[in-house]
Amino acid sequence: MDILIDILLALLSVYLAFRCMLAPKLSKAVFVFFAFGLTLALAWIRLGAVDVAIAEAAIASGFMGVLLLDSLRDFSLTFSKNHNVIEVKPNNSVEVKNRSELFPKIGLGIGLLLFLLISLEAVWNIPEGGGLTALAGSKISESGVEHPVTAVLLNYRAYDTWLEIGVILMGLLAIFAAGGIKQYRKAGITPSQDPILRQAILIFIPVLFLFGAFLLYFGKMGPGGAFQAAVMWGAIGILLHLGGWPVFTEIPRRLRLLMLTAGLGFFLFLGLIFMTTGGALFEYPPAYAGLLILMIETFGAVSIAAALTAIFAFLTK
Amino acid sequence: MDSFFIIVIIFLLLNIGLGLIRLWRGPSIADRLLTTQLFGTAGMAILMVMAGYLNDLTLLNVVITFNVLSIILVICLVQVWKKKKEKMP
Repeated sequence: MDILIDILLALLSVYLAFRCMLAPKLSKAVFVFFAFGLTLALAWIRLGAVDVAIAEAAIASGFMGVLLLDSLRDFSLTFSKNHNVIEVKPNNSVEVKNRSELFPKIGLGIGLLLFLLISLEAVWNIPEGGGLTALAGSKISESGVEHPVTAVLLNYRAYDTWLEIGVILMGLLAIFAAGGIKQYRKAGITPSQDPILRQAILIFIPVLFLFGAFLLYFGKMGPGGAFQAAVMWGAIGILLHLGGWPVFTEIPRRLRLLMLTAGLGFFLFLGLIFMTTGGALFEYPPAYAGLLILMIETFGAVSIAAALTAIFAFLTK
Repeated sequence: MDSFFIIVIIFLLLNIGLGLIRLWRGPSIADRLLTTQLFGTAGMAILMVMAGYLNDLTLLNVVITFNVLSIILVICLVQVWKKKKEKMP
Protein backbone atom coordinates (compact mmCIF):
# COMPACT_ATOMS: atom_id res chain seq x y z
CA MET A 1 0.00 0.00 0.00
CA ASP A 2 2.94 2.35 0.67
CA ILE A 3 3.90 2.08 -2.96
CA LEU A 4 0.67 3.89 -3.93
CA ILE A 5 1.70 7.02 -2.02
CA ASP A 6 5.19 6.86 -3.48
CA ILE A 7 3.96 6.49 -7.06
CA LEU A 8 1.48 9.34 -6.61
CA LEU A 9 4.17 11.59 -5.11
CA ALA A 10 6.67 10.76 -7.83
CA LEU A 11 4.17 11.41 -10.61
CA LEU A 12 3.05 14.66 -8.99
CA SER A 13 6.60 15.99 -8.55
CA VAL A 14 7.74 15.19 -12.07
CA TYR A 15 4.52 16.61 -13.52
CA LEU A 16 4.89 19.81 -11.49
CA ALA A 17 8.54 20.16 -12.50
CA PHE A 18 7.55 19.95 -16.17
CA ARG A 19 4.66 22.34 -15.67
CA CYS A 20 6.96 24.80 -13.91
CA MET A 21 9.48 24.82 -16.73
CA LEU A 22 6.93 24.97 -19.53
CA ALA A 23 4.65 27.58 -17.92
CA PRO A 24 3.78 30.33 -20.39
CA LYS A 25 3.65 33.06 -17.75
CA LEU A 26 6.15 33.87 -15.02
CA SER A 27 3.47 34.16 -12.35
CA LYS A 28 2.27 30.64 -13.13
CA ALA A 29 5.79 29.29 -13.02
CA VAL A 30 6.42 30.87 -9.60
CA PHE A 31 3.30 29.41 -8.02
CA VAL A 32 3.79 25.98 -9.58
CA PHE A 33 7.28 26.11 -8.11
CA PHE A 34 5.79 26.43 -4.61
CA ALA A 35 3.67 23.35 -5.16
CA PHE A 36 6.76 21.55 -6.49
CA GLY A 37 8.66 22.46 -3.33
CA LEU A 38 5.88 21.01 -1.20
CA THR A 39 5.85 17.68 -3.05
CA LEU A 40 9.63 17.56 -2.84
CA ALA A 41 9.47 18.03 0.93
CA LEU A 42 6.96 15.18 1.16
CA ALA A 43 9.23 13.03 -1.02
CA TRP A 44 12.18 13.69 1.29
CA ILE A 45 10.04 12.59 4.22
CA ARG A 46 9.19 9.36 2.39
CA LEU A 47 12.93 8.83 1.85
CA GLY A 48 13.51 9.28 5.57
CA ALA A 49 15.51 12.51 5.30
CA VAL A 50 13.70 14.80 7.73
CA ASP A 51 16.64 17.24 7.87
CA VAL A 52 16.47 17.83 4.15
CA ALA A 53 12.69 18.16 4.32
CA ILE A 54 12.96 20.97 6.87
CA ALA A 55 15.61 22.70 4.76
CA GLU A 56 13.43 22.30 1.69
CA ALA A 57 10.40 23.71 3.50
CA ALA A 58 12.36 26.62 4.94
CA ILE A 59 14.65 27.62 2.09
CA ALA A 60 12.86 26.50 -1.06
CA SER A 61 9.31 27.28 -0.02
CA GLY A 62 9.87 30.11 2.41
CA PHE A 63 12.89 32.15 1.44
CA MET A 64 12.95 31.39 -2.28
CA GLY A 65 9.22 32.02 -2.41
CA VAL A 66 9.62 35.51 -0.99
CA LEU A 67 12.48 36.29 -3.38
CA LEU A 68 10.54 34.96 -6.38
CA LEU A 69 7.39 36.88 -5.47
CA ASP A 70 9.47 39.97 -5.11
CA SER A 71 11.20 39.56 -8.44
CA LEU A 72 7.85 38.86 -10.07
CA ARG A 73 7.03 42.50 -9.48
CA ASP A 74 10.01 43.62 -11.51
CA PHE A 75 9.26 41.34 -14.42
CA SER A 76 5.52 41.78 -14.85
CA LEU A 77 4.03 45.22 -15.22
CA THR A 78 0.70 44.41 -13.66
CA PHE A 79 -0.61 41.67 -11.48
CA SER A 80 -4.35 41.67 -11.93
CA LYS A 81 -6.27 40.31 -14.86
CA ASN A 82 -8.07 43.63 -15.45
CA HIS A 83 -4.97 45.06 -16.98
CA ASN A 84 -3.19 43.32 -19.75
CA VAL A 85 -0.44 41.23 -18.34
CA ILE A 86 2.72 42.20 -20.07
CA GLU A 87 5.78 40.18 -19.38
CA VAL A 88 9.31 40.74 -20.45
CA LYS A 89 10.05 38.54 -23.41
CA PRO A 90 13.48 38.02 -24.86
CA ASN A 91 13.19 39.87 -28.15
CA ASN A 92 16.36 38.76 -29.82
CA SER A 93 15.71 38.24 -33.49
CA VAL A 94 14.86 34.67 -34.37
CA GLU A 95 16.13 34.67 -37.93
CA VAL A 96 19.72 35.27 -36.86
CA LYS A 97 20.13 31.76 -35.55
CA ASN A 98 23.77 31.27 -36.23
CA ARG A 99 26.35 28.94 -34.78
CA SER A 100 26.87 31.09 -31.71
CA GLU A 101 23.54 29.87 -30.33
CA LEU A 102 24.15 26.28 -31.28
CA PHE A 103 27.38 25.86 -29.39
CA PRO A 104 26.05 26.68 -25.89
CA LYS A 105 23.19 24.25 -26.45
CA ILE A 106 25.55 21.45 -27.45
CA GLY A 107 27.82 22.28 -24.53
CA LEU A 108 24.92 22.24 -22.09
CA GLY A 109 23.65 18.98 -23.54
CA ILE A 110 27.02 17.26 -23.17
CA GLY A 111 27.39 18.63 -19.65
CA LEU A 112 23.98 17.35 -18.58
CA LEU A 113 24.67 13.97 -20.17
CA LEU A 114 27.95 13.66 -18.27
CA PHE A 115 26.19 14.67 -15.05
CA LEU A 116 23.54 12.02 -15.67
CA LEU A 117 26.22 9.38 -16.26
CA ILE A 118 28.07 10.37 -13.08
CA SER A 119 24.91 10.19 -10.99
CA LEU A 120 23.94 6.85 -12.53
CA GLU A 121 27.40 5.54 -11.68
CA ALA A 122 27.03 6.83 -8.10
CA VAL A 123 23.65 5.13 -7.69
CA TRP A 124 24.78 1.91 -9.37
CA ASN A 125 27.91 1.36 -7.31
CA ILE A 126 26.73 1.81 -3.74
CA PRO A 127 29.55 0.19 -1.73
CA GLU A 128 28.93 -3.04 0.10
CA GLY A 129 27.78 -2.66 3.69
CA GLY A 130 26.81 1.00 3.26
CA GLY A 131 30.32 2.45 2.92
CA LEU A 132 31.25 4.67 5.85
CA THR A 133 27.87 4.49 7.59
CA ALA A 134 28.95 1.92 10.17
CA LEU A 135 32.18 3.78 10.96
CA ALA A 136 30.35 7.11 11.31
CA GLY A 137 27.73 5.51 13.54
CA SER A 138 30.26 3.95 15.87
CA LYS A 139 32.03 7.27 16.56
CA ILE A 140 28.94 9.34 17.37
CA SER A 141 29.64 9.23 21.12
CA GLU A 142 32.93 11.07 20.46
CA SER A 143 31.44 13.68 18.14
CA GLY A 144 29.67 15.63 20.87
CA VAL A 145 26.17 15.35 19.36
CA GLU A 146 23.60 12.57 19.23
CA HIS A 147 22.13 13.10 15.78
CA PRO A 148 24.20 11.45 13.01
CA VAL A 149 23.44 14.12 10.39
CA THR A 150 24.68 16.92 12.65
CA ALA A 151 27.74 14.85 13.57
CA VAL A 152 28.63 14.44 9.89
CA LEU A 153 27.92 18.06 8.99
CA LEU A 154 29.66 19.79 11.87
CA ASN A 155 32.26 17.34 13.03
CA TYR A 156 33.37 14.75 10.48
CA ARG A 157 32.99 16.98 7.46
CA ALA A 158 33.12 20.42 9.04
CA TYR A 159 35.23 21.70 6.16
CA ASP A 160 32.28 21.29 3.75
CA THR A 161 29.90 23.10 6.08
CA TRP A 162 32.39 25.91 6.56
CA LEU A 163 32.57 26.37 2.79
CA GLU A 164 28.77 26.28 2.58
CA ILE A 165 28.53 29.23 4.95
CA GLY A 166 31.10 30.90 2.73
CA VAL A 167 28.99 30.23 -0.38
CA ILE A 168 26.09 32.23 1.06
CA LEU A 169 28.43 35.13 1.85
CA MET A 170 29.82 34.90 -1.69
CA GLY A 171 26.27 35.09 -3.07
CA LEU A 172 25.66 38.27 -1.09
CA LEU A 173 28.95 39.75 -2.29
CA ALA A 174 28.03 38.91 -5.87
CA ILE A 175 24.71 40.73 -5.47
CA PHE A 176 26.49 43.75 -4.02
CA ALA A 177 28.97 43.68 -6.87
CA ALA A 178 26.25 43.44 -9.50
CA GLY A 179 24.03 46.18 -8.08
CA GLY A 180 26.47 48.55 -6.45
CA ILE A 181 26.52 48.95 -2.69
CA LYS A 182 25.16 52.50 -2.82
CA GLN A 183 21.75 51.27 -3.83
CA TYR A 184 21.62 49.43 -0.57
CA ARG A 185 21.44 52.50 1.60
CA LYS A 186 18.23 53.71 0.13
CA ALA A 187 16.07 55.62 2.56
CA GLY A 188 12.45 56.44 2.17
CA ILE A 189 10.65 53.40 3.55
CA THR A 190 8.12 54.53 6.12
CA PRO A 191 6.71 52.24 8.80
CA SER A 192 3.42 50.77 7.75
CA GLN A 193 0.28 52.17 9.38
CA ASP A 194 -1.79 49.09 8.57
CA PRO A 195 -2.98 47.68 11.93
CA ILE A 196 -3.34 44.12 10.61
CA LEU A 197 0.18 44.08 9.27
CA ARG A 198 1.60 45.54 12.47
CA GLN A 199 -0.18 42.97 14.62
CA ALA A 200 0.83 40.10 12.36
CA ILE A 201 4.46 41.15 12.52
CA LEU A 202 4.34 41.63 16.30
CA ILE A 203 2.83 38.18 16.77
CA PHE A 204 5.09 36.32 14.38
CA ILE A 205 8.47 37.72 15.34
CA PRO A 206 8.64 36.03 18.78
CA VAL A 207 7.28 32.80 17.27
CA LEU A 208 9.93 32.82 14.54
CA PHE A 209 12.71 33.61 16.98
CA LEU A 210 11.67 30.91 19.42
CA PHE A 211 11.22 28.25 16.77
CA GLY A 212 14.56 29.16 15.21
CA ALA A 213 16.28 28.82 18.56
CA PHE A 214 14.52 25.52 19.12
CA LEU A 215 15.65 24.17 15.74
CA LEU A 216 19.19 25.31 16.48
CA TYR A 217 19.35 23.49 19.78
CA PHE A 218 17.35 20.49 18.61
CA GLY A 219 19.95 19.87 15.90
CA LYS A 220 22.00 18.21 18.62
CA MET A 221 19.60 15.30 18.96
CA GLY A 222 17.32 15.37 15.94
CA PRO A 223 16.56 16.98 12.59
CA GLY A 224 17.31 20.68 12.70
CA GLY A 225 20.41 22.83 12.79
CA ALA A 226 22.02 26.08 11.85
CA PHE A 227 20.74 26.52 8.30
CA GLN A 228 17.11 25.85 9.15
CA ALA A 229 17.31 28.10 12.20
CA ALA A 230 18.95 30.80 10.09
CA VAL A 231 15.99 30.92 7.72
CA MET A 232 13.66 31.41 10.69
CA TRP A 233 15.78 34.27 12.02
CA GLY A 234 16.23 35.70 8.55
CA ALA A 235 12.46 35.67 8.20
CA ILE A 236 12.31 38.09 11.15
CA GLY A 237 14.41 40.59 9.24
CA ILE A 238 12.34 40.07 6.09
CA LEU A 239 9.09 40.61 8.00
CA LEU A 240 10.43 43.82 9.54
CA HIS A 241 11.49 45.04 6.12
CA LEU A 242 8.06 44.28 4.70
CA GLY A 243 6.50 46.22 7.55
CA GLY A 244 8.67 49.21 6.72
CA TRP A 245 11.23 48.97 9.49
CA PRO A 246 14.50 48.37 7.68
CA VAL A 247 16.37 47.16 10.74
CA PHE A 248 19.24 45.68 8.86
CA THR A 249 20.12 48.82 6.97
CA GLU A 250 19.90 50.89 10.11
CA ILE A 251 22.33 49.03 12.34
CA PRO A 252 25.86 50.45 12.17
CA ARG A 253 28.03 49.32 9.29
CA ARG A 254 30.74 47.75 11.46
CA LEU A 255 28.21 45.69 13.39
CA ARG A 256 26.56 44.62 10.15
CA LEU A 257 29.84 43.41 8.70
CA LEU A 258 30.65 41.63 11.94
CA MET A 259 27.28 39.86 11.87
CA LEU A 260 27.77 38.78 8.28
CA THR A 261 31.24 37.33 8.81
CA ALA A 262 30.96 36.02 12.38
CA GLY A 263 29.94 32.51 11.34
CA LEU A 264 32.68 32.05 8.77
CA GLY A 265 35.32 33.69 10.93
CA PHE A 266 34.55 31.90 14.18
CA PHE A 267 34.38 28.54 12.42
CA LEU A 268 37.79 29.10 10.82
CA PHE A 269 39.25 30.47 14.07
CA LEU A 270 38.23 27.33 15.95
CA GLY A 271 39.43 25.13 13.12
CA LEU A 272 42.85 26.76 13.17
CA ILE A 273 43.25 27.07 16.94
CA PHE A 274 43.30 23.31 17.40
CA MET A 275 45.75 22.96 14.55
CA THR A 276 48.34 24.77 16.67
CA THR A 277 48.10 22.07 19.34
CA GLY A 278 48.78 19.34 16.84
CA GLY A 279 45.25 18.49 15.63
CA ALA A 280 43.97 18.41 12.10
CA LEU A 281 42.04 21.28 10.49
CA PHE A 282 38.58 21.53 12.07
CA GLU A 283 39.34 18.94 14.72
CA TYR A 284 37.79 19.56 18.14
CA PRO A 285 38.73 17.90 21.43
CA PRO A 286 35.97 15.33 22.13
CA ALA A 287 35.36 16.65 25.65
CA TYR A 288 34.22 20.10 24.42
CA ALA A 289 32.91 19.05 21.00
CA GLY A 290 29.23 19.44 21.91
CA LEU A 291 29.63 22.97 23.28
CA LEU A 292 31.89 24.07 20.42
CA ILE A 293 29.47 22.73 17.81
CA LEU A 294 26.60 24.61 19.45
CA MET A 295 28.66 27.82 19.44
CA ILE A 296 29.62 27.38 15.80
CA GLU A 297 26.01 26.73 14.88
CA THR A 298 24.82 29.82 16.76
CA PHE A 299 27.34 32.13 15.09
CA GLY A 300 26.70 30.46 11.75
CA ALA A 301 22.94 30.88 12.10
CA VAL A 302 23.31 34.57 12.99
CA SER A 303 25.48 35.31 9.98
CA ILE A 304 23.38 33.27 7.55
CA ALA A 305 20.26 35.01 8.83
CA ALA A 306 21.95 38.37 8.38
CA ALA A 307 23.02 37.42 4.86
CA LEU A 308 19.50 36.30 3.91
CA THR A 309 18.03 39.52 5.27
CA ALA A 310 20.64 41.51 3.40
CA ILE A 311 19.86 39.72 0.13
CA PHE A 312 16.17 40.43 0.55
CA ALA A 313 16.69 44.02 1.67
CA PHE A 314 18.96 44.67 -1.25
CA LEU A 315 16.66 43.21 -3.88
CA THR A 316 13.56 45.00 -2.55
CA LYS A 317 14.11 48.52 -3.64
CA MET B 1 -5.52 1.09 10.93
CA ASP B 2 -2.56 1.39 8.56
CA SER B 3 -4.75 1.31 5.50
CA PHE B 4 -6.84 4.10 7.02
CA PHE B 5 -3.75 6.34 7.24
CA ILE B 6 -2.80 5.52 3.67
CA ILE B 7 -6.28 6.27 2.35
CA VAL B 8 -6.25 9.64 4.14
CA ILE B 9 -2.81 10.49 2.73
CA ILE B 10 -3.83 9.55 -0.81
CA PHE B 11 -7.04 11.55 -0.47
CA LEU B 12 -5.06 14.62 0.62
CA LEU B 13 -2.57 14.14 -2.23
CA LEU B 14 -5.44 14.01 -4.70
CA ASN B 15 -6.68 17.23 -3.10
CA ILE B 16 -3.41 18.87 -4.05
CA GLY B 17 -3.83 17.51 -7.56
CA LEU B 18 -7.29 19.06 -7.83
CA GLY B 19 -6.01 22.36 -6.50
CA LEU B 20 -3.66 22.48 -9.45
CA ILE B 21 -6.62 23.35 -11.68
CA ARG B 22 -7.16 26.60 -9.79
CA LEU B 23 -3.43 27.23 -9.80
CA TRP B 24 -3.32 26.85 -13.56
CA ARG B 25 -6.45 28.74 -14.50
CA GLY B 26 -6.80 31.13 -11.52
CA PRO B 27 -7.63 34.44 -13.11
CA SER B 28 -5.84 36.69 -10.66
CA ILE B 29 -2.66 36.24 -8.72
CA ALA B 30 -4.62 36.20 -5.45
CA ASP B 31 -6.35 32.98 -6.53
CA ARG B 32 -3.01 31.42 -7.19
CA LEU B 33 -1.65 32.55 -3.84
CA LEU B 34 -4.65 31.09 -2.02
CA THR B 35 -4.12 27.83 -3.88
CA THR B 36 -0.56 27.64 -2.65
CA GLN B 37 -1.87 28.27 0.86
CA LEU B 38 -4.27 25.36 0.33
CA PHE B 39 -1.33 23.23 -0.78
CA GLY B 40 0.55 24.25 2.32
CA THR B 41 -2.35 23.28 4.56
CA ALA B 42 -2.88 19.98 2.76
CA GLY B 43 0.84 19.28 2.92
CA MET B 44 0.87 19.96 6.65
CA ALA B 45 -2.10 17.62 7.10
CA ILE B 46 -0.27 14.93 5.10
CA LEU B 47 2.83 15.40 7.24
CA MET B 48 0.82 15.13 10.43
CA VAL B 49 -0.87 11.94 9.25
CA MET B 50 2.53 10.60 8.21
CA ALA B 51 3.89 11.44 11.67
CA GLY B 52 1.22 9.17 13.09
CA TYR B 53 1.74 6.52 10.45
CA LEU B 54 5.54 6.37 10.70
CA ASN B 55 5.42 7.04 14.46
CA ASP B 56 8.01 9.79 14.08
CA LEU B 57 7.20 12.98 15.95
CA THR B 58 10.10 14.94 14.44
CA LEU B 59 7.96 15.34 11.33
CA LEU B 60 5.96 17.87 13.31
CA ASN B 61 8.99 20.19 13.08
CA VAL B 62 8.56 20.24 9.33
CA VAL B 63 4.89 21.10 9.85
CA ILE B 64 5.75 24.08 12.07
CA THR B 65 8.37 25.23 9.55
CA PHE B 66 5.81 25.30 6.77
CA ASN B 67 3.30 26.91 9.06
CA VAL B 68 5.35 29.86 10.29
CA LEU B 69 6.85 30.60 6.89
CA SER B 70 3.60 30.53 4.96
CA ILE B 71 2.53 33.82 6.56
CA ILE B 72 5.54 35.58 5.07
CA LEU B 73 4.52 34.71 1.52
CA VAL B 74 1.09 36.26 2.05
CA ILE B 75 2.49 39.41 3.65
CA CYS B 76 5.12 39.73 0.91
CA LEU B 77 2.56 39.40 -1.87
CA VAL B 78 0.15 41.88 -0.30
CA GLN B 79 2.90 44.44 0.28
CA VAL B 80 4.26 44.03 -3.22
CA TRP B 81 0.78 44.35 -4.63
CA LYS B 82 0.14 47.53 -2.66
CA LYS B 83 3.31 49.17 -3.92
CA LYS B 84 2.26 48.16 -7.42
CA LYS B 85 -1.13 49.83 -7.12
CA GLU B 86 0.43 53.02 -5.85
CA LYS B 87 2.61 53.12 -8.91
CA MET B 88 -0.23 52.40 -11.34
CA PRO B 89 -2.34 55.41 -12.29
